[in-house]
Amino acid sequence: MASSSDMKGFFRQKKKTAGGRGVGKSKANKATSFKKSKNSASVGTDQVQPPALISHGALDLQDDYDSKEEILRQFDMSMAYGPCLGMTRLDRWERAKALGLNPPKDVERLLRAEKVNAQCLWDGCI
Amino acid sequence: MAAATMEVDSGNDSIQRKQSLYKSLDERFGIQKEMYRGQQYSQIYFARLHLMRTMLYSLIPNWKVHLPVCTVLGLEEGKECIIVGTIYKHMKLKPSILDEYSKERSTTPLVKPHNFVSSDDYLVLEDESGRVKLCGALLLPSVFVTGIVVALHGKETGAGDFMVEDILEAGFPHQIERPLVSGEDKYVVFVSGLSVGGSSSNPLQFQLFIDHITGHLGDEKEQSFAARIVQVVVAGNSVEYPRTLLNGQNLSSKDQSRLSEPIKELDILLTQIAAGIPLDIMPGPDDPANFSLPQQALHRCLFPGSSAFNTFRSCSNPHSFELDNVSFLGTSGQNIDDLEKYSDASDKLGFMERTLRWRHLAPTAPNTLGCYPFTDRDPFFIETCPHVYFVGNQEKYQSRLVKGSEGQVVRLICIPRFVETGTAVVLNMRNLECHTLSFGAEFST
Repeated sequence: MASSSDMKGFFRQKKKTAGGRGVGKSKANKATSFKKSKNSASVGTDQVQPPALISHGALDLQDDYDSKEEILRQFDMSMAYGPCLGMTRLDRWERAKALGLNPPKDVERLLRAEKVNAQCLWDGCI
Repeated sequence: MAAATMEVDSGNDSIQRKQSLYKSLDERFGIQKEMYRGQQYSQIYFARLHLMRTMLYSLIPNWKVHLPVCTVLGLEEGKECIIVGTIYKHMKLKPSILDEYSKERSTTPLVKPHNFVSSDDYLVLEDESGRVKLCGALLLPSVFVTGIVVALHGKETGAGDFMVEDILEAGFPHQIERPLVSGEDKYVVFVSGLSVGGSSSNPLQFQLFIDHITGHLGDEKEQSFAARIVQVVVAGNSVEYPRTLLNGQNLSSKDQSRLSEPIKELDILLTQIAAGIPLDIMPGPDDPANFSLPQQALHRCLFPGSSAFNTFRSCSNPHSFELDNVSFLGTSGQNIDDLEKYSDASDKLGFMERTLRWRHLAPTAPNTLGCYPFTDRDPFFIETCPHVYFVGNQEKYQSRLVKGSEGQVVRLICIPRFVETGTAVVLNMRNLECHTLSFGAEFST
């Protein structure tokens, strides 16, 4: 997986905070103060929200994600609990529990109690 | 409506039909609660690996204690250890969807060999961390298929392969002991491949069968035997549609009514059975049910006559049930037929025994056998050992009693296609003995 420093030179940057595509794990671990995520679909374009890039009828506003979503994304990407695509996060957590894999309880708490994205991070992108 | 006649009238006294307590175990094969969310088959392989690996881990201490268990990625050259994973068999002759794009398209289908085994096949073991090619004289690729989970003892070679020294398969699952029934003989009749409505089906042959088991034929001795039949199981391929009507073209109204003839004819025949004996019908590869396993029960609306009786049960394929605490498990043949294409065994019963030893009904699903993409479970995992394991739509009748390492006893039955052989199979629940019932309707000139 390419690190963000490679991506930076690859894409023409319009805004200071716009980076390359790809999930920058290392960057996310460090700070909570980054403004724009590298996952923004409008990277490299002139328009802010080109019509073709509005997916699911919603604007591409998934740029900010907080620490809660970060924990859930780590859960999504953890190989120990199996593939994440095609299942809701809670279903995957339950499966991990049923198979005796001891998934973290924090994830369950977040998924049940709080307003978080029920689908995995790749949902709708692949 | 309860069964209209449970008595067989022999003139002087009527003979009562025996009854058995039936319990369906088909819940695991239902897909009504499943929702397709775009998942891929990696999910079912993950569930299968974890389910079976946990089970194998519990068996390893009894097999080889003192050996470390590691993941595929954790293999070190020369270090003797045990690895557990899913087998993948690389087969040169296995047809690939990509071949359709590389070869020239022709109207006639490519002639495919019936069996894709070649001497070049090799096995690979895979877990979530990686895969490793397997070598060693012990592991005969022709015996194994993709999708089985096993434990292997061996060590990594310099070439990066894994030299197998010993193999641990799951073995027969635990079996609940069969209740000892004294005295009473109760029979279960299996039939499959009726192919009603097909060009080679002889309606008289099946009618003879129906008349015999419902006690309308024969003397008192025959009728007493028929009265001891407590269950009929129809294991798939009950109808056959004219192939010319199924090529995707628009059908005229005359053709449309031709299309509904086979199932109507089947319903009329099955009503005669359901009126007197509990009847289970399973879908097969040629029946109007979904394609991928587990096939869901044929809809009741297809059987307006028979489904009025509470003795009529439309079941899934695979089908699992208990009769008087004797457990039955069976399929309409797809799982064993697929094994025959991708591995070798001395006979069909050999394949059946292997699926029990691997504790998996259909290991080649979803690789070469159509299967629903389950995410959190694998319903083909055999949890408890059945007493009777049957497979429908086979070329000939075969049966064997096999024993497991912990005293499990299983009756294996291959049910022949009735349209070709006119033969049904009768099982005695008291002693698990099997014999055939053959019907001939040829008139010699």
